[in-house]
Amino acid sequence: MEFLSSLGISEPVVQFALINAILGLSIYLTLFTGMFSLANAGFMAIGAFTGVIITQRLGLPLPIGVAGGMLMAGVIALPIGLPVLRLRDIYLAIATIGFGEVVRILILNFDPLVSGLIGMDVEITGGALGIKRIPKLTETWHLIIFLILISYFITRLHRSRFGRAMAAIRQDEKAAANMGIDTVYVKNVVFILSAMIAGGAGAWSGHLTRIISPGDFGFDKAVDILAFAVLGGTSTWVGPIVGGFVLTALPEVLRFADQFRGVINGLILMLVIVYVPGGLVNPAGIRRIFERLRGRKSPSAVPPTSTEAGSKA
Amino acid sequence: MKSAARLFLILLILVPALAMAQEATPEAVASVPMGTSACPAPATLSGEVTIGAVLTLSGGASVYGGPQQAAIQLAVDQVNEAGYLGGATLNVIFEDSASENEQAINAMTKLVEEDQVVAVLGPTLSREAFSADPVAQDNGTVVMGVSNTAIGITDMGEFVFRDSLPEAAVIPGVIGQATELLGLTRVGLLYANDDDFTVSGYEVMRDAFSELGIEIVGEETYATGDVDFNAQLTNLLSGDPDVLAVSALAAEAVQITLQARALGYDGYIIGGNGFNSPAVLEQTGADSEGLIVGGAWNIGNPTPTGESVYFVAAYEAATDSSPDQFAAQAYTGAWLLAEAIRCADSADRTAVRDSLAGIVDYATPLGVFSFDENRNPIHAPVAQIVREGRFVVLTAETGVLGE
Repeated sequence: MEFLSSLGISEPVVQFALINAILGLSIYLTLFTGMFSLANAGFMAIGAFTGVIITQRLGLPLPIGVAGGMLMAGVIALPIGLPVLRLRDIYLAIATIGFGEVVRILILNFDPLVSGLIGMDVEITGGALGIKRIPKLTETWHLIIFLILISYFITRLHRSRFGRAMAAIRQDEKAAANMGIDTVYVKNVVFILSAMIAGGAGAWSGHLTRIISPGDFGFDKAVDILAFAVLGGTSTWVGPIVGGFVLTALPEVLRFADQFRGVINGLILMLVIVYVPGGLVNPAGIRRIFERLRGRKSPSAVPPTSTEAGSKA
Repeated sequence: MKSAARLFLILLILVPALAMAQEATPEAVASVPMGTSACPAPATLSGEVTIGAVLTLSGGASVYGGPQQAAIQLAVDQVNEAGYLGGATLNVIFEDSASENEQAINAMTKLVEEDQVVAVLGPTLSREAFSADPVAQDNGTVVMGVSNTAIGITDMGEFVFRDSLPEAAVIPGVIGQATELLGLTRVGLLYANDDDFTVSGYEVMRDAFSELGIEIVGEETYATGDVDFNAQLTNLLSGDPDVLAVSALAAEAVQITLQARALGYDGYIIGGNGFNSPAVLEQTGADSEGLIVGGAWNIGNPTPTGESVYFVAAYEAATDSSPDQFAAQAYTGAWLLAEAIRCADSADRTAVRDSLAGIVDYATPLGVFSFDENRNPIHAPVAQIVREGRFVVLTAETGVLGE
């Protein structure tokens, strides 16, 4: 601990790193299934507001708040996923960015909307100011256990028939459908799972930052979440965790650089993307680098994806 | 070693003697850029006293953090030049919050737990303050907001201060003065409904007008980042208001002013803190005529205090740019901490807190300054109107438009 804090990694940094690792895993699920969705910031907002409303306005304990946040994100993901997941690639990305904006603006105008409907003034989401003075209820060990549970769930998922179907869809959705995989079902379930994990991360983080406002969960956040997964690598579930840790810790470790902090931070990220395109945790890429070091010719371009899992499905 | 010990002994005798000599004449530091200190130079304080500052040096709100950093550095340099802390020197560590709540918490934790600073200035944004101030409060460290205007900041604990007038303190005063002097009867309200700063400004405006019994002919909203306000302005102007009240950030404030004038409106526009910037005046040119702005501080104040004149000159010499309200408040914040440390004659966090809370009638660029019992600032805001491209104090004479 002493060594870490001398580097600038204090307890809050560890906590935010854990939150970001969880967010990385949430988008990892959709990316692994070949869906380029940027909806996770919106689901995080839903989870955060639901969780905080449960603990602050209703006075229930934190675990119920987190469970409620996950549930609400999952319930909202279902009707969103059915129409939106018919889109692919960049079109899906644009539609899900739109979803994030809708969530943000709905939370912003939630109070006047509800007040108008029921005919009396209520304060639920707090408008632009959001909900403030939330007690810090989230502890580091909560987050560690939550991360371990989700990681375990994902490793089990990968070994299951369902997980292989996910990999098959990522490789080639049409071929997977021809082999009898119910792609609509698989994609929607993955979308809901991803939303629930993001919702959980939101509920935990709301009780860390002590204030949540709709502006915290905009497009910037969606891109941040994507960066955790892409920088860490999306070929294994370890990648997004590493990505979340690195991207949270790096700006803190670089505090000694003063005004050059942002520049060095950006430069490091750029170098990683250019020289390790598959992400920091990328077995295929690392193998290739080792083979090149040994002077052997690398086997003809292996795509940095989980080909084993795909072929078994 | 021996000579060092001897020197120490001499100091040990001399310093209290000097202190006693100074107690008789507390005006001994009249040459410093701030008002007279209430206390003699510290006798026992020595070495380096370190304060911290959490500012938005990068990210969306970096436009505020830059001037704040320059102003705090200027104040710290002046404190040391003047020997304001006696044998001790003041040192400041700046940390960037990147305009994010998470990084504000991390920066505050580093300053308070790792660097063990005596007190912290900032964070720049109110939402960052709601995130990070509890860290300082829990560690018994003073944190002073120099730009937090939201309601409830200082309710977070007895170690949380601010020297920035909340909107709730500035706007009602300006609206009251304008109504009395100009005989306003009908107002149209326009504000951004997605920003905590503009929304709280709007609420204060609405309540102030209602209390004065002025008819609100319409309320219109927009989103931060919008560039076209013609629809909202047309709606408001159809109600024939004699004043438009606008709660906006600086970027939108410029466009709203220009477009209202383009639609043929030539009456008064009352703006919140967002209008209180030299940039707004520059960019609206002749259209700024009749703009009424209240603020904690304005460089165009026609009757500035001596401290304010000194500050503007020193800031311009140090940075080659003109200070805004954010710089003035940050500069004052650093001086207030210096005064508290001087009066406490100690770098103990609790002693500094108590001494800060006891500051009364300290002359600063913001005016004669005291804290109220809730650690909020007490000083008079200035109501000003733009005439021929310059701010003048609002009076019954300067308020008559159209000759």
